[in-house]
Amino acid sequence: MTHASLHAATPPGIHADVEEILLTQDQIQARVAQLGAQLTADYAGRDPVLISVLKGSIVFLADLVRGVQLPLSIDIMEVSSYGAATESSGQVRILKDLSHPIEGRDVVVVEDIIDTGLTLNYLLRYLREKGPASLRICCLLDKPARRLTEIEIDYVGFTIPDRFVVGYGLDYGERYRNLPYVGVLRPSVYGLDPPEA
Amino acid sequence: MALLSEAPPPRFAHDSEAELARVLDFYQVSWRYEPDVFPITWSPSGAVVESFAPDFYLPELDLYVELTTLRQSLVRRKNRKLRLLRQLYPGVRIKLLYARDFQALMVKYGRVDVLLDMNGVNGSNRTNGMNGNGAEHR
Repeated sequence: MTHASLHAATPPGIHADVEEILLTQDQIQARVAQLGAQLTADYAGRDPVLISVLKGSIVFLADLVRGVQLPLSIDIMEVSSYGAATESSGQVRILKDLSHPIEGRDVVVVEDIIDTGLTLNYLLRYLREKGPASLRICCLLDKPARRLTEIEIDYVGFTIPDRFVVGYGLDYGERYRNLPYVGVLRPSVYGLDPPEA
Repeated sequence: MALLSEAPPPRFAHDSEAELARVLDFYQVSWRYEPDVFPITWSPSGAVVESFAPDFYLPELDLYVELTTLRQSLVRRKNRKLRLLRQLYPGVRIKLLYARDFQALMVKYGRVDVLLDMNGVNGSNRTNGMNGNGAEHR
């Protein structure tokens, strides 16, 4: 049985596993265009490199760079996740490193969502050791309620409430990345009742 | 500093604390378990009546983390202690993770099995009353 078949009463246009659309496709497109314009202004005369952290941010990156009217480079990194670790005593690892040096470059890390900030905290330490001229963060979604680390985010698309969201690159169990909107996943999908209020 | 796997781990009072320690280890964030005790109420004679020992201190982030997997309806007492701590020690940065926060963290990492293993995250499986040893782990 698929998840979709469990929720026959879902409104049309919304995935059956999504209980609410938090950000529509139009809202996302408009805000991403604004961020692109902001980067264009802030990095005028420079040649920044935008680093996308797989996998969640690729959709955001693809739309964002098309709104940046500057010569720029793109690089891709992938960092292992706690949940995917097979050893209980494992540690975060770089699964896909930078393809080109960033020493002396103006770097913008492009993230889909920042919640605890633990992954980004690790990544920023790693990138700083590479000697970039500058290092800034651009994220689509900021979920500050969950933050454990103190990270200054330079460009934020949306600040969102403390709910589990999928779509526009964000997944649960590798699904839902292709949804054009950001929606709240039904707790029943991950096998839990809604949290007690 | 040592990795959790390399140093004798403290005796955690709850499985959720051990799991959070593993998450911090994974992301190479050093931590100490219950290293400090903050007095929060005193008797008229000046004796400490009540104190608060946050579960974790993250030295690199200068942040205390208190993890409570009690049901929300039962956390009023802890909220009161936290409020007092913040009033008395305004320079201390502390983050309280409620049951719903821990649940969301496990869902994010696809570790719903951890929640199920904890018998519904009801906070009833505190295994002992041991305090932490204050040793730093990384």
